Amino acid sequence: MLKRLHLAGQWVFLHVEGLFNLAFGEKLNPLYYLGPIAYYLMWVVVASGLYLYAFFKTGVQGAHASVEYLTVQQWYLGGVMRSLHRYGADAVALTMLLHLTRHWCFDRYRGFRWFSWVSGLALLWLVYAAGINGYMLPWDRLSQFVVVATAEWFDRLPMFGGELVRNFIFPENVNDRLFSLLTFVHIGVSLAVLAVLWVHTQRVPQAKTLPPRPIAVTLTIALLALSLAKPAVSQGEANLAAAVTTIGFDWFYLPVYALLYRWGPGEVWGLVGGLTLVLALLPWLPPRRRKGPAEGYHMLVRPDNRIVAVREGETILDAGLREGIAFPYECRNGGCGQCKATLAYGTVDYGAYQPDMLTAQERGAGKLLLCSATPLGDLEIDYQPTAVPGGIRARVWTATVDALDLLAPDVMRVMLRLEGGERIEFYPGQYLNVLLEDGEKRSFSFATAPHVNDRIELHIRRIPGGRFTTQLFERTKVGDRLRFEGPLGSFFLREDSDKPIIFVAGSTGFAPVKSMLEYAFHRGLARRMILYWGVRRPEDLYLALLPRQWAREHANFSFVPVLSDPRPEDHWQERTGLVHDAILADFPDLSGYQVYACGSVEMVEATHPAFTAHGLRQDDCFSDAFRLAARVRSHAPELVRLGGTA
Amino acid sequence: MKRAPRLVAQVALYVPLMALLGYLSTRPQFSVIAPDEALLRLSFIHAAHRAHACRSRSAAELAKLPPNMRAPLDCPRARVPLRVELQLDDRVVLEREVTAAGLRHDGEATVYFRTAVPAGRHLIAVRMGDRPGGGFNYTRTATLDLAAGSALVIDFDPAKGGFVFRS
Repeated sequence: MLKRLHLAGQWVFLHVEGLFNLAFGEKLNPLYYLGPIAYYLMWVVVASGLYLYAFFKTGVQGAHASVEYLTVQQWYLGGVMRSLHRYGADAVALTMLLHLTRHWCFDRYRGFRWFSWVSGLALLWLVYAAGINGYMLPWDRLSQFVVVATAEWFDRLPMFGGELVRNFIFPENVNDRLFSLLTFVHIGVSLAVLAVLWVHTQRVPQAKTLPPRPIAVTLTIALLALSLAKPAVSQGEANLAAAVTTIGFDWFYLPVYALLYRWGPGEVWGLVGGLTLVLALLPWLPPRRRKGPAEGYHMLVRPDNRIVAVREGETILDAGLREGIAFPYECRNGGCGQCKATLAYGTVDYGAYQPDMLTAQERGAGKLLLCSATPLGDLEIDYQPTAVPGGIRARVWTATVDALDLLAPDVMRVMLRLEGGERIEFYPGQYLNVLLEDGEKRSFSFATAPHVNDRIELHIRRIPGGRFTTQLFERTKVGDRLRFEGPLGSFFLREDSDKPIIFVAGSTGFAPVKSMLEYAFHRGLARRMILYWGVRRPEDLYLALLPRQWAREHANFSFVPVLSDPRPEDHWQERTGLVHDAILADFPDLSGYQVYACGSVEMVEATHPAFTAHGLRQDDCFSDAFRLAARVRSHAPELVRLGGTA
Repeated sequence: MKRAPRLVAQVALYVPLMALLGYLSTRPQFSVIAPDEALLRLSFIHAAHRAHACRSRSAAELAKLPPNMRAPLDCPRARVPLRVELQLDDRVVLEREVTAAGLRHDGEATVYFRTAVPAGRHLIAVRMGDRPGGGFNYTRTATLDLAAGSALVIDFDPAKGGFVFRS
C-alpha cells in the first residue's frame, strides 16, 4: 500500500517536473531545487523583515500606525518590503511542504535519513510558529484574531489553565510590553529556524543552500511583481472591545486557526499533536527489514580507484559526495542527466528519473544516474571527474621515456620527462593513467615527490601475460613516447594532523609511499613516520637501500621490512610474517595513529579489519583500496593495485 | 524548445504560481462570526468556597501530631467546583461545573466561554454558585441591545458586587 502511494506520488512529481523541464530546462527547473529555494526565500524574508523592523514601533499605539506608514506612505519600498515579507514567508511554507512531500514520495526519509526528516519536521513547525507570530505584529483585525485564537488554543494546555486569553479580552490589559515580547519571539524563533536549517543541511553531503542564480533572480522578480500587483495590507486597527467578524485569511499559515473555530482547542491539539507524532515516526513506519548487509555495500570508484561505503538506500551520488568524490551533478533529482556514469560491475535499483535523461539504450549500455541509483550489491562505477584535490585539473600529457632501470626481475623503474619542458603539479600519492593506443588505460602512482616535477618516476611490476607490462619489459626503449592523463585520485598525504603515520606498502605499493615520504622530508614534517614494507622475498624489496638511507638521515623515520615467505638461503634476520601482524605486534593500540596503506587487495583485506579492531579510526585510514572487500570483482583484484596494473 | 516560447512557458507557469500565492494569502475570507452576529464571552477567575468547613481537632488527634503541627483546626484545602450557567433569552447556552485548579483543587477556577449571538435585543442571565450545597449565590440578568460585530464580555468582580457586563 505504502509502495503504491510512493509510486503514485513519484508519477505525479515526475510528470509535473517533466512539464517544468520543457519551460525551464533540466538544469534550471525550480522543482529540483525546492530545498535551496526554501533556504533562499528564508533570506528574502529575513532581509525584508530587518527593513520592516527598522520602522516598526513596538507599542499599542505605534504598531499599527508604523506598519500603515510603511504600507501607505512608503509603499514604494516599505510596502514592497512588507509584501515581500508576506509572500516570501508564504512561499517558504509552500516550498517546504512540497520538499517534504517529494522526499516522502521518493522514499527518501527512512533509514539513515531519519535525522534529516525529523529535523525538517521541527523546522516546519518553527517556520509556522514564526509565521503565525508575525501575523500578530501589525495589530490589525487579523492580528487581533490570531492573538486571541492563540491564547484560546494555548489555554487548553494545563500550564496556562485558561488564564492567557484574559490578557486579550480587555483593551486595558494590552500594553507596549506585549509588542516587545511578540517582536522578541518573532526574531528569536526566526533565528532558531536558521539554526535548525543549518543542522538540517549538515547531514546532506555537499548540500546546496542556494538555487542557481537564474532561479533566484526569476523568483525574486516574480515576488516583486506580485508585491506590486497585490500589496500586503492591514485589515483595520485591532479593537479588542469589538468582535472580529470576517477577515482576509492566510491559508498557508492559518488553516489550523480556522479549525480552532470549528472544532475547539482540544480537538486541534489532538490533530496537531497526532499529525506531528505520525510524521515524526514515519521513518520507522512500517518497520523495514534490512535487505543488504548491516554495513551496507561498497563501491569501487574510477578513475579515483577509491572504495566507498554506501549505506542501504543511499544514492551512489550522496555516498560519493560524502567521501569527497568529485562526482558531477546538478539537480540531484534524476532530472538533468548531469550525473550520468557507467556501471562497470554490480546491480543497482535505478530509481525514479526523467526517462529522457537515461534512455533504455543507455541503461543497456551500462549507464546510470548517480543521483537516482541505489546499490543492490557491491559496485564498480566509472565517471568523469569534475575536479581533483586542490583544484589541479587532470589533462592529457605527452612524455618521453628518459630511463628504464630493472630494479628487480619483475619491477621496472620508468623515468618519464614531459615534452616541451612542461611541469606537472600533483599531490604525493596521486596517480596517472597511461593511455594505450586502443583507448585502454593503465594506472600507476607517481613515485617522485611533487617538488620534483620535471620528471616522473613510475615503478611498474610485470604481470605475467599483461599486455602493457609485457610490451614495456620487452620492447619499450629510451626515447619512446607515451601519453597519459593525470594527476588523478584523492589518495594523498594529509598534513592536517599531528598524529604519527604508519605507512604500509605491499610490493610496488612502495611507489606512492616513496612520493609521500620524499615530500614529507622535503617539507620538514616532524611527525613520526614508520614504513612497513611487506613482500615475499628479499629481492622483492627492490629499493630497500633507499628507506634504510632515510632512516639514517631522519630521526623521525624508521623502516621495517617484512618478508612473508623467506627461504633459508635468504639468511633473512629481520621481521617475517604478514605485514599487518608485524604492525600490530609493534603497535597494539592504533588509536593515536594514521595509516596509509598501498598494496594488493589481499593485503588491504587483511589489514583493515585488524587495524580497526585495534583502535584505528576510520578517519585515520587512508588507502585507495582500504575499504575494499575482495567481493568487488574478486576475480580481478589488480583493479585496485596502486603500485601498477597489467 | 526555443528561447521565446520557453520564456512564454516560464511566464505561463510563474503567473499561476504567484496568483496562487497572492490569492491564498488573503482569500477565501474567514468568518469568525457572521456579519449579523455579535460576540458574547463569559470570562472570569474566581476562588470558590472550601468544600468542607474547618473542624476542631480532639486532644487525642492533636497528641498524635508532631508538636509543630498541632493546629487546633483541621481545614481541608479543597474548594467546591464553581457552578456556572448562562442563559440567552429562553435558552441555557452554558451549564458547567468548573473544578478548582491545583492538585488538591484548592486554587482558583477559570471560566471561559465564547459564543456568537444574533445581533439584536436579548435577555442575558448569568448565574454562579461558589458554595457547598448547590444553588446559585450570584446572579445577574440584563436585557441588552447587541449590535452586529459588537462584543460583550461578562466578567466577575466580587468588589463590584458580582457579575459585570462590559461591551
